[in-house]
Amino acid sequence: MILFGLAVVCMRSPVSSAMCLVVSFLGLAALFFTLDAFFIGIIQVLVYAGAVMVLFLFIIMLLDLKTAPPRKLNILAWSGGGLVLIGFVALLMKVVLGDPGLAIPKPALATDNLNDVKLIGLTLFTDFNLPFQIIGVLLLVATVGVVVLSRRELK
Amino acid sequence: MNPLLLEVIVVVLGIVLLMLEAFVSKSDKTFLAWIGIGGLFAVLVASFFTVPVPADAPYAAFYTTDALAMFFKRFSLLATILVLVMGIDYAPTVEKFVPGASKGAGVGEFLSLPVLTCAGLMWMVSAVDFIAIFVSLELVTISFYVLVAYMRRSATCLEAGTKYLILGALSTGFIVFGITWIFGVTGQTNLAAIATVLPQLPASASAALLFGLGLVLISLGFKIAVFPFQFWVPDVYQGAPTPITAFLSVGSKAAGFVVLVRVLTPFLQDETIGAKVAGVLAVITGATLLFGNLAALPQKNFKRLMSYSSIAHAGYLLMAVTSIGVAVAEPAISFYLAAYLAMTFLAFLVMALVASAVGGDDLSNFNGLARRSPWLAGAMLVAMLSLAGIPFTVGFLGKLYIFEVALSAQHYWLVGIGALTVACGFYYYLQIVRAMYWMPAAENAAAVPVSMTSRITMAALAIAIFVFGIYPQPILSMLG
Repeated sequence: MILFGLAVVCMRSPVSSAMCLVVSFLGLAALFFTLDAFFIGIIQVLVYAGAVMVLFLFIIMLLDLKTAPPRKLNILAWSGGGLVLIGFVALLMKVVLGDPGLAIPKPALATDNLNDVKLIGLTLFTDFNLPFQIIGVLLLVATVGVVVLSRRELK
Repeated sequence: MNPLLLEVIVVVLGIVLLMLEAFVSKSDKTFLAWIGIGGLFAVLVASFFTVPVPADAPYAAFYTTDALAMFFKRFSLLATILVLVMGIDYAPTVEKFVPGASKGAGVGEFLSLPVLTCAGLMWMVSAVDFIAIFVSLELVTISFYVLVAYMRRSATCLEAGTKYLILGALSTGFIVFGITWIFGVTGQTNLAAIATVLPQLPASASAALLFGLGLVLISLGFKIAVFPFQFWVPDVYQGAPTPITAFLSVGSKAAGFVVLVRVLTPFLQDETIGAKVAGVLAVITGATLLFGNLAALPQKNFKRLMSYSSIAHAGYLLMAVTSIGVAVAEPAISFYLAAYLAMTFLAFLVMALVASAVGGDDLSNFNGLARRSPWLAGAMLVAMLSLAGIPFTVGFLGKLYIFEVALSAQHYWLVGIGALTVACGFYYYLQIVRAMYWMPAAENAAAVPVSMTSRITMAALAIAIFVFGIYPQPILSMLG
């Protein structure tokens, strides 16, 4: 997953980048499956690897993007960015490896056939109803924004 | 009435404005701003007649209506009203830089989106749960992405929009990652629940907790523009449409500070990690104060100057946030932000008028303004004096309260840096005053035309700066 994530950034052709992103998403879905979160895993495949990526490919084809030409390496920017990256990963590793929670084994599910979809739906529409409604407003704003920013001529 | 209704009314108002924009065939779209101003004003009045949310309501875990939340709801409403007032005068500029098929195209959305942003700000200041914080923060940020890049025929505006989008998306990633770490350690997203869980955690968990909190701090640091997360500020402030720059620097910053206060309070009051968090914050505060004030000194463009000044003001506010664990800081922060609202909007109102009359926002455009338009120069003088912190203005009292809080928390060296940088501030704010009163005007300069709305708004803000600078009790009593 990480390997293909890196490939997304490094590939010169946008189409190969997009395909690598699909594989990366599949890896993430597999991670959810191992955590017994089947519903989220399937949604990950359907929505991200399926719908979102098709959209990405459509955009790439519509814009007719060419393979990016190789750029000259900016040593200063690379070393600066590299230092931040190494520092962040080192800090992350230190925290992860030093955490006692890592040694605790994963508890088994109480029942084998947990009704994921129903539980998520219930949580979403009862306990988390307010944030869910706010997301509705967010989508409205995003839609209006896309129209305003992308139409050739506004009426 | 239920306080949640306030946001619902604001959202409905935003949708009504969008509908009117779509179905009313009138080329002058500024009537939308008047409806918006009227509606928001009605909500502002209604906010004084609300009852607290019942504790057993299903949304009570996400949404609070304490004194801080109510104060900043009114603050957001007032800021949005001022943005719409500025938007009326700014509409011709928007029209010029938006590709439109007919007259007035694109102005309607420009005037109705801030209303929806306002709803986001109002939810944000009430949010007491990481989930609610995240969704309301995103609502605000996404609407700002659109508004910042709005004038897409202007290259600087597009540049500002792109920079804001990329760095904003990055900071969103950080906050989500941070929230998952904090959730992983505490098992809670609700801030009150986190506060009760914190003392029971084993000492070994504090590394993961601090890591998560650090990530959240990076993201919020981006929103409130503190060092070292301030790189986007000058370019975005300069490129964005002027009313949006003012909105960004007041509304987004204030709501960011409220969230910061809410998120940090349980951690700063915790015995094991409180001192560490305060230490990190103190370093950021010192760096922000120095950077904001020193980088503002050589600026020649008004909007860039205001952007560095906004970084500097974030530094003063952060000084009070640092003291939360040991002193009562919320009233000082709220008062400072209220003062900041009045003086920033006054400065931007004058600037927008001068810039559209002269055709640029460089400092040299203010040369000899006192002779051309003495009242406008007077308004700017009031704003600058208050931003610099001259006695008898709200800016002075705001800084006084902040320093008082920091002193009672024994952050002596921070107060030292603060006092030094205030002196720095005198130089660059008074630079504008010097340009207005002592520099000769350009040959062909004429008086700047000012609409009646702007006149009334500027007079009200200038009077508020002096009145609350001498008699701050009304604001203080609202803070409880």
